[in-house]
Amino acid sequence: MNTVHIKKGYQLRLIGAPAAEVEVLPRPARVAVVPERLRFVKPRLTVKVGDRVKVGSVLFEDKRHPGVFYRSPGAGTVSAVSLGPRRLVRHIVVDLDEQEAFEEFGPIDRGELERIDRLDLIDRLMAGGLWPLVRELPFRDAARREARPPALFVHLDNLDPFHPLPPVYLRGCEDLFEFGLRALERAADAPVNVSLAKENAAAINGLRSRITHLYTGNYPAHDPGVLLYRTKRSAAENHSWFISGQGVLLLGQFLQEGRLPTEQTLVIAGPGAQTPRHVRARIGAPIAALGAGEVPAAGIRCVAGGVFSGQPAPMDSFLNAGETSLVYLAEGAESPPAFRWMLPGREATSYSRTFLSSFTSPRDRSMSCNRHGGLRACIQCGFCARVCPVDILPQLTYKAALAEEVEESLSHGLLDCVECGLCAFVCPSKIDLLETLRRAREAYYDDIA
Amino acid sequence: MNPINRFFDSQRRHFEKGGRFETYYFVYENIESIFYPPPHVTTASPMVRDRLDVKRFMFLVVVALLPHYAFGVFNVGYQSHLASGLPPDLWPVVAKGLQVVVPMVVVTYAVGYFWEALFATVRKHEISEGLFVSCALFPLTLPPTQPLWQVALGISFGVVIGKEIFGGTGRNFLNPALTGRAFLYFAYPVQTSGDAVWTVLAAGRTAPVDAFTSATPLAVAAATETGSVPQAWVDAGYSTAKLFFGLYPDSIGASATFLCILGALFLITVGVADHRIILGDILGFLATAGLLNLVAGPGSSPYLHLSPLHHLLVGGAAFGIAYMTTDPVSAPAMPGARWVYGFLIGMLTVLMRVFNPAFPEGIGIAILFMNCFAPLLDEVQVKMRLKKRVPNVR
Repeated sequence: MNTVHIKKGYQLRLIGAPAAEVEVLPRPARVAVVPERLRFVKPRLTVKVGDRVKVGSVLFEDKRHPGVFYRSPGAGTVSAVSLGPRRLVRHIVVDLDEQEAFEEFGPIDRGELERIDRLDLIDRLMAGGLWPLVRELPFRDAARREARPPALFVHLDNLDPFHPLPPVYLRGCEDLFEFGLRALERAADAPVNVSLAKENAAAINGLRSRITHLYTGNYPAHDPGVLLYRTKRSAAENHSWFISGQGVLLLGQFLQEGRLPTEQTLVIAGPGAQTPRHVRARIGAPIAALGAGEVPAAGIRCVAGGVFSGQPAPMDSFLNAGETSLVYLAEGAESPPAFRWMLPGREATSYSRTFLSSFTSPRDRSMSCNRHGGLRACIQCGFCARVCPVDILPQLTYKAALAEEVEESLSHGLLDCVECGLCAFVCPSKIDLLETLRRAREAYYDDIA
Repeated sequence: MNPINRFFDSQRRHFEKGGRFETYYFVYENIESIFYPPPHVTTASPMVRDRLDVKRFMFLVVVALLPHYAFGVFNVGYQSHLASGLPPDLWPVVAKGLQVVVPMVVVTYAVGYFWEALFATVRKHEISEGLFVSCALFPLTLPPTQPLWQVALGISFGVVIGKEIFGGTGRNFLNPALTGRAFLYFAYPVQTSGDAVWTVLAAGRTAPVDAFTSATPLAVAAATETGSVPQAWVDAGYSTAKLFFGLYPDSIGASATFLCILGALFLITVGVADHRIILGDILGFLATAGLLNLVAGPGSSPYLHLSPLHHLLVGGAAFGIAYMTTDPVSAPAMPGARWVYGFLIGMLTVLMRVFNPAFPEGIGIAILFMNCFAPLLDEVQVKMRLKKRVPNVR
């Protein structure tokens, strides 16, 4: 087992961390798939309103990759296909039946798993619609069937506040995890690196032998891109695959049972949550139902996927498979108290040392979505370069990206970027660095596709 | 809701789109945001943002400069009373100092703000707070006798040519305050150099009282032909303590070395100034002056024998090191380049002081000169750094 020390990055101390107990939520009345938050996917619908579907029936196919299906997380009647601007498919809603029927894919046992051909295994996973949980660096799109990855990274935890803790979601699932990991090992046909934060290592004794990397450090030390950047020796390793710990469980369960899994563990947390906690909920559950008992006040923003890398999710939206974090943050659309920028700032959250809070003992503080300042030109403070976990110079890379100097931004390590968002977080000029870098990455991906 | 808040809420509509004063929105925004930070929220990831903004970043530099203003007001009045043969009582001294300094500061800010607001309004972007630092630095570098119209002209040149024509704060490559100062030095040498400009005389007097030395330590050093410079200073009434505390005729606030040290420590502590630049500067001074000490023979000019610490003690060295070289915009961005940048500034300053009789003080020119080379230094280090990356191209 290797220990990796990540020195850069930043750990946000935010109030509203989830309690370790898991609450099992009641079955919601409807579930949905949300293509608008599935990155890169261009859906071609195969159902229309009124169709009857089972758990595991195809809802749509990715236009870019025929054969990559997205399947229904519930059985019942398709009650709505909500379209956004430019006919973007927002969500496909299924009203659940009392008794749900399942599409059967046929279970597979340990012995079969060892015998099955690698590509057959991938095809089986793809048919089940869960294959896109396996992602491919550097663009983080779904892994390509035909690719031969140099390595597979499994990250058990996620330091972006707040995500399910590995000791919580792995409790009682050690065998399933082993099974899923073996399946992925066969599918990737490459060394598997399982990483875990050192402070969580003691709580996971059952899987100790499978863990290859323990890391110490701040967000985003968990990210496979960071681990890869710290450990890679050649450019060949750039195309590694990765998957989250819960993704391994879902894939394992699908293979073992031959049916699409319907539940995942997620956290409902953050400064705006009344009782921050872990919950066991249906995949595709409505956010409104997840917040039952929460009744978020007006002016609360719901973020799916963590405060740094997540996206805002409206109250009428749903959570996809693999989206395991729901953070409630105050919108913060009102002016802060007068002259606050001049005050010592005992309670300010800042990466810099410009507030008194940097000189007192660190503790969790509340934050809102307020930007805390107007847009300015870059003043070369260098904070972004100091915080970047993969040693990019974001202040130069984003200028190269804006000037569409593709070669230059690539030489700066644009593709090493793990999209952690810390550069944009620390920027005193409030420049949306992450957005610029992300767009440049996507434009380049489109170009070479 | 308090009255200030109510006032802004009632007036905002005039400046928003369709309002009567729509054109002046950015001026309004700037003034309102001094009282109330804007209520903007994030629209893109990450959802939360650091509390630090440019306003606070720049404000901390102004905070570090406030003691210099307190000192400057006192020193200007104090020197004036000494030179005019008046008793140096505290309140009359402060009153005299305020009478000289306040108009210069007011003119600087009014004119500087005018240009910044004009460019911001035409370009339709918010007013950047870098201006307030430039306007705080500029009067401190001027002799107290500078005519106000020249102050206005100097800051105009600094803001417009030093900054705005390149796009405003963050896009300039020269330090705006120093650009304005250098402009005045070259355009109006009579009012910015010589021995007479550093002291304001009381009304009616044309020359200082006999016992008063008005030559600055740098002028004394340059004029010393035999003996040693420190001895010449002592003869001229400049003890080491006096040089350290800065109570002698000089530009308004730059002579107080001890305040510069405190200011630099403060700025390093809060992370606004980079210690690499400051230490690089000091190393440059120590190495160059130390080397000159070594090569100087018995027949060389006494200036060559002047120790590095003495070099750091006099003139604008400490002020320039603490506040001018550390401007992140006109300095290089890369850590290694910052060391080199600082070192070369220190070196050039000493060389200019010792070998160029045309410039009694070299640090301003040295900084502007190195400002021009900052992009090159950055380029070299960026190239070196990128070579080390494992390529990730496709």
